[in-house]
Amino acid sequence: MSGLELLVLTGVALLFAGGVAPAAPRAISASLILQAVGMALLGIGGALVLFGAPVLGAPFQSNLDPTLGIDRLTGFFLATLALIAVPALVYARGYLADAARSRVLVALSGLFLLTLTGVVTARDPSTFLAFWELMTLVPATAILVRHSDAAVRRAVFVYLAVTQLGGAGVWICVLALAHFEAMSDPGALAAQGTGVQALVIVAAIVGFGTKAGLMPLHSWLPRAHPVAPSHISALMSGVMIKVALYGLIRVLFEWAVPVPLWAGLTVLGLGLLSALGGVLYALVQHDLKRLLAFSSIENVGIVALGLGASILFASEGDRTWAAIAFAAALLHILNHAVFKALLFLAAGVFERAVGSLDLDHVGGLLRRMPWTGGAFLVGSMAIAGVPPLNGFASEWLTLQALIHAAFGPTLGIGLAGALATAGLAATAALALFCFVKVVGLVLLGAPRRSEVEAASEAAPGMRAALAFLAGCCIALGAAPGLLVPTLMELAPQPTDLATESGLSISGTGSLPSPWLLFGLLALSGLLWRLRGSRRAAPVPSWACGQRAEPSLSWSSAGFTKSLRLVLEAVLRPRREIEKAHEHGQLQSIHYRGEVPHLFDTLLYGPVQRGALRGALIARRLQSGSVRAYAAYLLALLLGLLLLVRTGVIG
Amino acid sequence: MITLAGAIQLIGGLALAPLMPGTIQALKARLQGRRGPSPMQPYRELRRLWGKTLVDPQPTTLVYRLAPCVVAAAMVLGLFLVPIAGLSPDWPLGNDAVVLVGLLALARFALAAASWDTGSGFALMGSSRDLTLSVFAEALLVLALILAALPAASTDLVAMSAVANGSAVWSEPAHWCGAAAFALVVLFETGRQPIDNPDTHLELTMIHEGPLLEYAGRDLALLHWSAAARHWIVLVVAAELFLPHWGGFGARLGCLAGGLALLCGALAFTETAQAKMRILRAPALLAGGCLLALVGLISWLVG
Repeated sequence: MSGLELLVLTGVALLFAGGVAPAAPRAISASLILQAVGMALLGIGGALVLFGAPVLGAPFQSNLDPTLGIDRLTGFFLATLALIAVPALVYARGYLADAARSRVLVALSGLFLLTLTGVVTARDPSTFLAFWELMTLVPATAILVRHSDAAVRRAVFVYLAVTQLGGAGVWICVLALAHFEAMSDPGALAAQGTGVQALVIVAAIVGFGTKAGLMPLHSWLPRAHPVAPSHISALMSGVMIKVALYGLIRVLFEWAVPVPLWAGLTVLGLGLLSALGGVLYALVQHDLKRLLAFSSIENVGIVALGLGASILFASEGDRTWAAIAFAAALLHILNHAVFKALLFLAAGVFERAVGSLDLDHVGGLLRRMPWTGGAFLVGSMAIAGVPPLNGFASEWLTLQALIHAAFGPTLGIGLAGALATAGLAATAALALFCFVKVVGLVLLGAPRRSEVEAASEAAPGMRAALAFLAGCCIALGAAPGLLVPTLMELAPQPTDLATESGLSISGTGSLPSPWLLFGLLALSGLLWRLRGSRRAAPVPSWACGQRAEPSLSWSSAGFTKSLRLVLEAVLRPRREIEKAHEHGQLQSIHYRGEVPHLFDTLLYGPVQRGALRGALIARRLQSGSVRAYAAYLLALLLGLLLLVRTGVIG
Repeated sequence: MITLAGAIQLIGGLALAPLMPGTIQALKARLQGRRGPSPMQPYRELRRLWGKTLVDPQPTTLVYRLAPCVVAAAMVLGLFLVPIAGLSPDWPLGNDAVVLVGLLALARFALAAASWDTGSGFALMGSSRDLTLSVFAEALLVLALILAALPAASTDLVAMSAVANGSAVWSEPAHWCGAAAFALVVLFETGRQPIDNPDTHLELTMIHEGPLLEYAGRDLALLHWSAAARHWIVLVVAAELFLPHWGGFGARLGCLAGGLALLCGALAFTETAQAKMRILRAPALLAGGCLLALVGLISWLVG
C-alpha cells in the first residue's frame, strides 16, 4: 500500500469515526476534530493527485461492482471539499456548542461529508447513484432535525420533490452510460449514434442541472439552503451544488465526447439565464441567507458559462481556449466555494448575535464584530468580483474566454459569445450592486435594532475559520496562475500554460494579480499616509438639518428601487398601499411591496396546478368498488391479448 | 520613446487629468456665452481642499475613511494600464482592458460602501443610481471593447490601439459601431449630460456627486482627482481605440492631443446642446448602445 493510499484511507477512517463518535455523550468536540483531520487528510491526498501524484484506485468501469478511486478531477473536487469542510467543521465546534440536538447534527455533518466524498470517488454506476441519493437525503435530514415547523417541512418537501424529479435525469443518464459501457470507454457513446448521445446529454443537463441549481430548475435551492444550519448551508452552497457540476463535467467532457455544438449552446444559454436571473433575484431579497442562496444560482451560472464556452471552442477546434474556458469554470467552482462558505458561516454568526437576518434590521456590525465583519467584507468584495480578490480572477478568465468566443469565426458562436459576455458583465455589475447593499445594510452605518448594540464577537475557533477562508480569498486572488495551468491539464484536450503567480495568456493583456494586489495595497497605504489624520470634530451625517433618525435610514428596497423601476417589465414587482380613513381623515397608510419569484408563479405554479388537476381526474378511476377493479383487470388482459394477437408485442 | 510614453502615462496622467474637466467646463462656459472659470480651476480647487481639515461624520468606520484612498489607488493603477500613443513600458501590471473594467468597478464598490457607512440619504441615492446605470454601462463597455479588440483578436490595449492605427480599420462598419457605443460609455463614466449633470448639487438630479457630499479636505481632493483621472483614462482610451490616428510615435502623440481636445470639445458641446435625460430613460439609451454594438459585431462576423 502506497503512502498516498494510506493517507486517504486514514482520512476516510477518521471521517467515519468522527461521524459515529457523537453517539457517546460529550464527544461533540472530539468528533468534529476527528472529522476535520480526516477531511484534511483526504484533501491533501486529493491535492497530491491533482498536482501529479499517481492516480489512486480503479478507473471508471461500467459494471455494477462497487469501486472507488481518485483521479485528477476527483482530486480537485476533494481538495475543494476539504478546503471548505475543515473550516466549516472548526466553525461548527463553536456553532453547535450550545445548540439543540447538536449530537445528531455532528453525526449528520460527518455522514454528509462521507457521501460527498463518495460521489466524487465513485468509479461505477451503482456506487455513484447510491451516494448521489444519499447526498440529497442527508442535508434534508439535517434541516428537519434543526427545525420542524410547517414552513421548513414544506421547504424540505419541495427540495426533495424537485431534486427527485430532476434526479430522474441523473439515473437515466448514468444507467444509459453504463448500458453502453461509455464510462469505461469514452467514445462508445458517440458510436451509438446522435440520438442516444442527445438523450444522455439532455438527461445529464436536466438531472445534474437540477441539483446544481441551474435555472429554471433551481426552485428548491433558495428554499432549502437558507433553512439549514449554517455550516451545512456552507457545504450545500459551497460544495454540494459543485458536486452536481462534477457529474455534468464528467458527462460532457469525458463520457459523451465529442459533444455537439447545440449542447454547448444549451449550457451557455442556461448559464446566462441562471447568472442574470440568480443575481437579479438575489438583489431583491430581504433575508441574508436567501439572498446568498440566489447568489449561488448566479455563480453556478457563471461556471456553466465557462463550461459552455469550452464546448463551443472544442467544436471549432480551438484547443487552447477550450482548455482555458474549462480551467475558468473549475477555478470559479473553487473560488465560489471559498467565498460562499465564508459568507454563509459569517451569516450564521450574525444570526446568533442579532436574532434574525432581515437585512433592514441589522446595521453597524463591523464596529462590534471587527473579525467576523472584516472577513464578511472580504468575502463580499470577492463575490462582487472586484480586483484583487479571487472572484475577480475567475470572472476575468471566464470573461476572456467569452470575449474570445465572440471573435467568431462563425456568426452563431460569435453572437452567442458576445451575448454571454455582455450578460456576464451585467451580472458582475449586479453582483457588485447586490453585495454593496449587503455590506452596507449588515456591516456599516448605525445599528438598526437594540440587539445589534449588544452583539459581540464570535468564539475564537469560529473567528479562525472565517479568517482562514478570507485569507484563501486573498491568496487565490493573488496567485490564480499557480493553479490555472494544472486545471488546464484536466481539460479533455489539455494545453500547456507557464506556471506563474499571475495569468499571462496570449490574446489578453495578462492579469498580473500579485502586482495588482501589491499595487493597490501600496498605493492605498501611501495615500493614507499623505492624507494624514488631521481631523475636525466628529459631526453627524447631513440630513438637511434634521437629526438622522433610524426610521429615516435607507432600506434594502429603497436602495434597489431605481433598478426595480428600470426592470419593471422583467421583475414585475407588486405593491399594495392601504389607506385607512376615519371621519374623512387619513389615519394610517400601510405599504407592502414584494418582488414575486416569477419562476414560481409562472412556471412551477401552472405545472403544479396541472398535476393536481390530473390527479383529480385519475382519482375517478378509483371508485372503491371491487367490480370496477375486476373490470379494469379484464380490460387490461383483453387489451394485452389483442396487442399480442396483432403482433405489436410478444 | 517608450520612456516618454511611460512618463506621460504616469506624470501626465497624475498632473494633466484635472485639465480634462477644467477644459470641458471652460469650453462649456464659452459656448453658453459666459466667461466661466479658467481651465486651471480644478487645480486651484485641489490645492484649496488639500489644505483643509478633514471631517469625520458619525457613525462611520474605517471603510468610509479608506474609500478615497482605495478609489484613487485604483485610478492610479488604471493610469499604468492605458497606453499613450500606442506605447506602454513594461510595467508589471500588463495592459488588459478587462482589468481596467475591474479597477473601475473597485472604485465604484469603495464609494458605494462609503455611502452606506455615512447612511446619508443623498449619498445612497447617488450610488444607487450609479450602480443601476453601471449594470447597463458595463455590458455596453465590454461590447464596445470586443469591437475594438476584433481586428487584433486580443484584449491587450497596446495591441488594440496598434490595429486602430491608420485608415484601414475605418472601412469596417464594426469600428464605427464600436466608436458610437464607446461614446455612450464616455458619457456615463465621465458623468456628463445627458446621463448625469456634473454641475448640480441638487439632490434630485445628482449621481456621481452624491457619494462625495460628506467628504471634505484631502479626502475630497483625492475623490475630485479620481473623478478627473476617470475622465483622463476614459478619454485616452477613446482616443487611442476609436479616434483616427496615423504614423509613428510623434505623429500619434499629436493625434492623441488633438483627439483629447476634440473629445473635450464634443463633451462641452453635448452638455450645452443636450438637456439631462430622465434617469430612468438612461438605461434605454445604454441598451440601445448595446444593440448597436451587436449590429457591429454581426457585420464583422458576416463580412
